[in-house]
This record gives sequence, structure tokens and C-alpha cells, in this order.
Amino acid sequence: MSAGGSGGGAKGGYPPQTIMAIGAIGGLAGIYLGHFMPPAFSFFGGLGAICAIVWGADAVRRVASYGLGTGVPSIGMISLGMGIVAALFGLSVGGIAGPIVSFIAAAIIGAVIGVLANKVIGMGIPIMEQAMVEIAGAGTLAIIGLSVVIAGSFNYGDVVQYVVANGYIALIFIIGGMGILHPFNANLGPDEKQDRTLSVAVEKAAIALIIAGFASSLHEGLMSAGLNIAVGLAIWAFGFMKYYGFIKRDAHAVVGTGLLPSAEELQ
Amino acid sequence: MIDALTANILSMVYIIIGGVLISWSVHFVPVGGAPAAMAQATGIGTGTVQLAAGAGLTGLVSAGFMMNVTDNLPLILASGAVGAMIMIAVTMIVGTWVYVYGVGCVPSSAKVKVDPITKYRQDLYVSQGTEGHGLPTVSFVSGVIGGCLGGIGGALVYYALIEVGLAAGLTAGGSSTVTGHELVGIAAMFAIGIFFVNAVIPSYNIGGTIEGFHDPKWKKWPKAVISSFVATILCAVVAVIAISQLGGI
Repeated sequence: MSAGGSGGGAKGGYPPQTIMAIGAIGGLAGIYLGHFMPPAFSFFGGLGAICAIVWGADAVRRVASYGLGTGVPSIGMISLGMGIVAALFGLSVGGIAGPIVSFIAAAIIGAVIGVLANKVIGMGIPIMEQAMVEIAGAGTLAIIGLSVVIAGSFNYGDVVQYVVANGYIALIFIIGGMGILHPFNANLGPDEKQDRTLSVAVEKAAIALIIAGFASSLHEGLMSAGLNIAVGLAIWAFGFMKYYGFIKRDAHAVVGTGLLPSAEELQ
Repeated sequence: MIDALTANILSMVYIIIGGVLISWSVHFVPVGGAPAAMAQATGIGTGTVQLAAGAGLTGLVSAGFMMNVTDNLPLILASGAVGAMIMIAVTMIVGTWVYVYGVGCVPSSAKVKVDPITKYRQDLYVSQGTEGHGLPTVSFVSGVIGGCLGGIGGALVYYALIEVGLAAGLTAGGSSTVTGHELVGIAAMFAIGIFFVNAVIPSYNIGGTIEGFHDPKWKKWPKAVISSFVATILCAVVAVIAISQLGGI
């Protein structure tokens, strides 16, 4: 069974390097801006998470196009599984360089799992190693970005107290995972187009920012929570309208063929 | 950093054993994937990861519940195993009701001619064009074994992470504040992360559907177990360091 994917590489759209640069640089820049700016500007962490989620969705799109043998959601789950382990490790030892240490740790874990998947398990997907590195990195940045939205900084103590101890981390885990796994899962098929898939990623990531914004009201107060939610809503509306436009572009025309001819007309 | 690793060597061994058990357990769970959702393959109609995670995380919760009252490792493991077994058994029995009374098909396996446990003929009842449907007895038993192993694995990982935190000077007692408890939260999240990594690796090894321990694909398990062993070593090192750092803040 080849669930999801046509068995070949993904085609068309922006080259992987562009998306990779947007995800890694945009993600880290957003996280650092959210950390250093006053708490009211913690939505920058969410913007970083959006860049990372778009990158993750593009990496899932490229690797899952080969057909994973199991559903697309599995790769989103492993992304966030590796991401959460690497993110908390990096923040605990890295201090101010925490997100970068997390990112490197995620790349190492991802590379090892990618090599194991190809060499030991024998999946035979040519881009598996690279894709696993990308997916782990994107998951890590998404988790740290959304944590910055809730905690206002990425200090290990703050993140543990305001995000992990009260359980918001579980929320981040699953909405970040949804942002990474859902876009390709929803759009896969022979007519899958990169811009349509990635517009869903933007939209899902904006929903993640809105939900993280709600959660941030506990620690950051209603003002900054309101700002987080407003930014998220604006991006969500933009992403959703874009997606709707792409659907109308890609949808096939429905042509009326009339009713079946009656018995008299056939004679 | 290095002394944190050497001081917690036993906990790391527990985490690695737990990860390997989770990886092995996934091979026992009868996963049908999308074909089973249309009653065209034997097993439960959803993906490997969802099933393993559902059962394993329930095991984690029940193990955590037991840790609330005792620190006796066998009792905690038993609690985790029973929780996961109940979860997977309930999922399978409700699935069977849907297949039998809703879809209207006989639980039957296409991989074996005779059910190894009940000795009932299987091939006569497999609908044409399908690879079996529903959950025959052998798949059900296999799934419960898988839940047991997964629950023990998840509980072992969680227990080891809590022990690392206790060694670093944190407390794991009951907390009455709204903001919750640092050690429990972080140990649970690391356990979930390690669980997902070890649930996805075997699902790539299985590649879609498996009926249980009677399926020919089951014999591929050493590959996934070796992969999980290596991956869990990495995760264990990272998790032990992160939790040890928690003692310093």
C-alpha cells in the first residue's frame, strides 16, 4: 500500500533552498525578536513559528510525495517528537544561543533517524536524510516560536514555568504538528500544487498563533494576548483567502451536460 | 553535563529499554490503515502511529497515576501495561462491533488459512478483492500483547525521567498550584517525544498494514528495534541533560 503520494519526487514551485532559507532564518529571527522585544511584541515568535511551519510543510510535501507506506501524519508526529526533545535540550544548555543549539541538536537527531530509515529499515527514499533534518529543525523552531508567544522569552526557566508546567506544551505539540502534517495531507494527489499546499500551512500556523495567543493571556496579560490574537487573525484571513483563490484556480470546471435523453428523443 | 550522564546511567538504560519495547510493541498492533477503514484489510482502520500513541499515552497516564502513590517500579510498570491494554482492547472491540454489525462482514484474516488460536478457517470468509476484514481472535490477542509491551515501555521511560529529576533535587509530589508542576510536565513531554519517535520508526518498517504476530511482516521487527535502539540513545542523552539542568533553576 502506498498511502499518500504518487511515488515520485514533488514537482514545481519555489525551489527547496528558498523555503529552507525562509524557514530557518525567518524562524530564528522571529524567535530572537520575540525574546528581546517587550512582552507585547511576543507575536514575533509566532511569525517565526509560521516561517518554520511553512518550511516543515514543504519538507513533508517533498518527502511524502515518494509515498511513505504509512500515512502522512506519521511524519508530522516524528517531526514534533524530535522537535520537542531537541527544543527543551537546547534551551536548557544553550542560554542565549538556546534556539541555535536546539536547531543543531534537532539536525543531528534528524540526520541519524534519516540514515536509519534508509540504511537499516530500507525505505529507499533518496531525500530521506535531508528531509528528516529539515523536518526536525522545522518542528523545533515551531515549538520554540510558539513557546515564545506564550512565555514572552525562551529562557529555560520561563519556558518550563509558563509553557511546560501548566501543560500548554501539549497544545503547542499538537497544533504545531497539525501545521506541519496537515497541509500536504489535505492537498495530496496528482494535482497537488506547492503554492496551494503552503497557503494551507500559513493558515494553519496562523491558527496556532491565535491559540497560543489565547494561552498567553495567563502570563502576559490581556493586552499582549489580544495583540497576538489580532496578528494571528489577520494572517489567518490572508492565508485563507489565498487558499480559496488557489482552490478556485485549480478546481476543474463543472460543465452541464443536460438531462439524459428521454425514450422519445432516442428514437 | 558529562557528570549528569554518568550519574544517571541506570535511568538511561531504562529509557533505552523502554524505547526498544515501544518499537517492538508496534509490530503486534493490528493496523489496517485506510484500507481497513473501508473494511478491505484486516485490522483497525487507522495508522500505526495513532494507535500506538493512543495506547501508549494511556499507559503513560496510568503509570503516572500509580507514581502518585508509590515508587515501586513493578507496580508502576503493571499499571502502565494494564492502562495501555485496556485502551487498545476497547478500541479493537468497538471496531469489531462496527465491522460486524455496521459494515456486516465476518472478522477474517487473509494472511493465514487457519486462525492460530481458535483454529477456525479464515480463507473461506475473506470477501473477494479484499485482504481480510475486521479483527479475528489472533489479531485481537496480538493487539493486547502490543498494548502491554507499549505500556511497559512508556511507563519505563516516564519513570526513568522522573528519577533523573529527583536525582537533580526536584520534587515530584502533589502540587496544588494552578501553574502545575515542572518536573512532571517536562518528564511527560520528553516521554511523549520519545514515544512518538519510537512509534514512527517501526511504522515505516511495517509500511502500511500488519495483522499481528502471525503476519509475515512481523518477522521484520529486528530492523526497527535496532533503529529505535540507536535513536533512543540520542534522545536519552538529550533528555537526561535537559532534566538535570532543571535542578539549577
